Amino acid sequence: MVPVDGKPGCGELIRQTCRMAEARGAPWLGVHLDAPQRILYSKSEEQSLAASLRLVERLGGDLVRLQPSGDVAQDLLALVKARGVTHLILAREQPGWPARRASTLLEDLAQGDLDLVIHVLPAPPAPLERPSHPSEPDALDPRRLGLAVFFVALTTGVGFIVFRYLGLADVIMLYMLCITVAATQFGRWPTLAACVLSILALDFCFIEPRYSFVLTDIQHIGTFAVMLGVGWVILGLAERIRAQTRTAQEQERHARALYRLGRVLAEGGPAPAIRERVEAYLRQELGAPLALILCDAQGGLAEAGRPDLPLSRTELEAARAAMDLGVPAGHGTGVCPQCPCLMLPLPGTERALGVLVLPMVPGAALPSDRMSLLVPLAAQIALALERANLAEDRTEAIIRAQREQLRSTLLSSISHDLRTPLGTITGATTTLLDPGPQSAPEDQKVLLDTIHQESRRLLRMVNNLLDITRLESGLVQVHKEWAAIEEVVGSALGHLEEQLGSRPITVDLPELWIPMDPVLLEQALVNMLDNALKFSPPGSPIEVRGWADPTQFHIAVADEGPGLPPGEEELIFEKLYRGTGRPAAPGAGLGLAICRGIAQVHGGTMFAQTRPRGGAQFTLSLPLTALEGMPPDPESIP
Amino acid sequence: MTPEPQPLVLVIEDDSHLRQYLQTTLRSHGFRVEEATTWEQGRAAALRLGPEVILLDLGLPDGDGLSLARELRAASRVPIIVVSARGREEDKVLALDMGADDYITKPFGSAELLARVRVALRHSADRSAPPPAVVEVGDLRMNFASREVTLAHKPVKLTKNEFDLLGVLIRHAGQVLTNSQLLHEVWGEAGKAQGAYVRVYMRSLRKKLEADPTRPRLLLTELGIGYRLHSEPQG
Repeated sequence: MVPVDGKPGCGELIRQTCRMAEARGAPWLGVHLDAPQRILYSKSEEQSLAASLRLVERLGGDLVRLQPSGDVAQDLLALVKARGVTHLILAREQPGWPARRASTLLEDLAQGDLDLVIHVLPAPPAPLERPSHPSEPDALDPRRLGLAVFFVALTTGVGFIVFRYLGLADVIMLYMLCITVAATQFGRWPTLAACVLSILALDFCFIEPRYSFVLTDIQHIGTFAVMLGVGWVILGLAERIRAQTRTAQEQERHARALYRLGRVLAEGGPAPAIRERVEAYLRQELGAPLALILCDAQGGLAEAGRPDLPLSRTELEAARAAMDLGVPAGHGTGVCPQCPCLMLPLPGTERALGVLVLPMVPGAALPSDRMSLLVPLAAQIALALERANLAEDRTEAIIRAQREQLRSTLLSSISHDLRTPLGTITGATTTLLDPGPQSAPEDQKVLLDTIHQESRRLLRMVNNLLDITRLESGLVQVHKEWAAIEEVVGSALGHLEEQLGSRPITVDLPELWIPMDPVLLEQALVNMLDNALKFSPPGSPIEVRGWADPTQFHIAVADEGPGLPPGEEELIFEKLYRGTGRPAAPGAGLGLAICRGIAQVHGGTMFAQTRPRGGAQFTLSLPLTALEGMPPDPESIP
Repeated sequence: MTPEPQPLVLVIEDDSHLRQYLQTTLRSHGFRVEEATTWEQGRAAALRLGPEVILLDLGLPDGDGLSLARELRAASRVPIIVVSARGREEDKVLALDMGADDYITKPFGSAELLARVRVALRHSADRSAPPPAVVEVGDLRMNFASREVTLAHKPVKLTKNEFDLLGVLIRHAGQVLTNSQLLHEVWGEAGKAQGAYVRVYMRSLRKKLEADPTRPRLLLTELGIGYRLHSEPQG
C-alpha cells in the first residue's frame, strides 16, 4: 500500500511500490485521503494529483479514496486491517500529509499492533529549480568594473582640462556623460561604482575646497543626488532595453529554429524518415545528442527498433510516463526525476506519438528558454508525424483496395475461363451419353475431339494459374545449371507438338552453354510459343532465334501475325491483360506474365516489340555471368 | 493355339476415377488389372499377387509413395511405373534413382500409358536373357561386338564415350534414364557429381544422329529428369 498525493516525487513512490509488488507477485493499492484537513491544492498540484492517481491505475494498482477522519494513522491502519495489507511504503518526508513527519506517523502506525512492514524510502529528489534568464549582466564582472573605474579616471583627466578653460558645470556634465556611458554599457554594479567614484572624484578634484572631501556648499549635495538619480534611471532604462533585446533575440532564434524545423518536416515521407531527419536537425540545432522514440501502432514504445538507442529501465519508465501522462518526465521534473534524461512527449491529437529524449548533465536543469523552444518543437514534430501516419494509412487503404480489385478481377476472369471449357465438356458428354436417334459416328468423333481439346485447355489454364501463383509468392526455386539451349527449345517444341501441327518453325540457336534453370525456361518458351500460335494466322511461320552478347543471352520467339497494338508493349505483360485490338483468346492473360516472372527470377528481363516487317517478337534475356564453375568442355571429359 | 497369358498390372492409386480409367484402358488392351487404394494394401497386394507391372501413385493418402517404391524394389524386380503430378520433378528423379523403372505425369493419355507399360514389360522379359550383341531401334543399329553404329545403313563414327552413352540408352530403349543413372553406367564412380558430362555427349550424339537437334526424334530430353531413347521413332 502506498499513499498518493499530488506532491512531486509521489509518482516515483508509486512506481517503486509497483516494482516491489511485482517482485513479490502481490497485488498493491494506492490510497488517497481526499483533501485532508482542508488543505487546498494549487492548480498545478491538482493536475499532478490527477496524474498520480492515473499512474496508480495504469500500473495496475488498486485505488482507494478515503474521507479522512482527522487522524491519518488511524485511517491508514483501518485500511491496512480491512485489506490485509502487509507492506506500507512511505517517503521519508511525506509532503502531502500535513504536520506529519514520517517519524511521527511511523510511531502512530507502530502502535497499531499489526503485522505490517513499513518501508521508508528516501525522499525523491525535488525537481530542480530552473534558473531564470542567464544572469551574466548582473554578475560582478571585474573587467567591466575596471573599465568603469578607468572611465571615471579618464573623465577626471579630461575634467582638469575642461575645468581650466570652462567651468564646474561643464565638468559635472562630463561626469554625467561618463555615468550614462557606464549605465548603458557596463551593467548594474559597474554603473553604481562609476556613480560613486564620479561623485567622489568630482568632490575631491573640482569642488572647493579642492583636494579634500570636505563639502562646504550644501548645493553640491543636490548635484551629487541628481548624478546618482540620473545614473539609476538610465541604468533602469538600459537594463530594460537589454532585457527586451535579449527576449527579441531569443524569440528570433526560436522562430528561426522553428522555421528550419518546418523546412525539415515539409519534406514529408514516412514516419521513420521523418524521425531520422528530425534527429539530425535536433543534433545540429541544439548541439546535443538527442533522440526520438516513436511509439508503435499499439501505443507501446518502439524500442525494439532502436538498437542504436538502448534505454535503461528507468529511462524507459520515464519515457512511458511521459507518453502516458502527456507531460515532460525524467531529469528535472516531478515524474521519474532520477532518470538521467529529460523525456518530452510529442503530443498527438489522441495520444502521445513518441518521446523526445534529451540526455542531461547531472545536476543541471534545462534553461527555461531551451524548454520554451523544445515544447513548440515537440508539437510541430508531433504534427508532422501525425500527418505521416495519416498518409501511410491512406496509402495502405489504397493498396488494399487495389489488391481487392485485382483479386476480384482475377476471380471473375478465372471462373469465366474455367467455366467455358467445362460447359463444353459437360454438354458434349451429355450428348454422348444420350445420343439422338440420328446421331452419326462422325458426330461422336467430333464431340470426343472437342472434349479432348477443352480438357487440354483447362489443364493449361490451371497449370498457368499455379505457375503464376508460385512465381508471385516467391516459392519458385531456381536451379541454375549449364544448359544446352537446343535441348530446352526442343523440349518446349515437343510439348506443343500437337498444337504446332504442320506450322513451319525455324530455329536458329548458337551452340552455347547457358546458365539457366532449364525446367523454368522451358515453361517460359512453351508460353511464348503458345502465344505466337494464338496470335498469328494458322500456317504462318514461327521463328525461334537465340544469340549472345558479352553479358546476356537472348532468346526470341517471333510470329508473322498482326503484331502488337502501339503502346501496349508493356501492358501485355500485366496479368489478365487482354489486348484491345486483338481477338479475345481463351486463357490468355497469364502466359506472358509467367514468362516475365521466369525471366526475373533468373535476374533477366523480357520485352515485346513489333518487328519492322510486321509480327510480334518476344525477347527473353538471361544474364550470362550468374553461375559458378565453367561450362562443360568435351575435351576434359575422360 | 492357347491364348497368351494376359500380363497382370497392379494399380496402386487412391483416386477412384483415375483407377477406373486405368482399369478400363488397360483391360481393353489385353491386361489383367488388380487395384489397391492405400500404401498398406498396395504392399500386401504386390507381395501376394506377383504382378508383372506396378503402377504406383506417389501421392497416396496414408504414406509416402517413394518409400513404397523402395520396399517393393527391395522385395522383387517387378517393373514399377510411378504416377505423379506436374512440377514434382525432384520426386520423380528420387523414385527413379531408388529403383522405379519409369514415370508418367498426370494427366496422361492412353497411348502414353500403354507405351510405358509395354516398354516396362519388354525390359523385364529381356532381363533374364543375355544382352544381345546387336540392337536395332528404327533406323539405328548398334553392334556391341564390333562397336559399329549405322543410321539408315550408313556408318556413324562415334567416340568411346558417345558409343557407351548411346549403348546404355538403346538397351533401355523407351525407358527414361536419369542423369545420375547415365553417369553411373558410362563413367562409373568417376562420373558422380559431373552432371554436365551427359549433356555434353547428348549434344554431340544429336549432331551425329538427329536431322534437326532442336526437334529430336530419337534422343528425347525429359527436362529436369533425364533422357529417353524413343523406341518407336517416326520421321
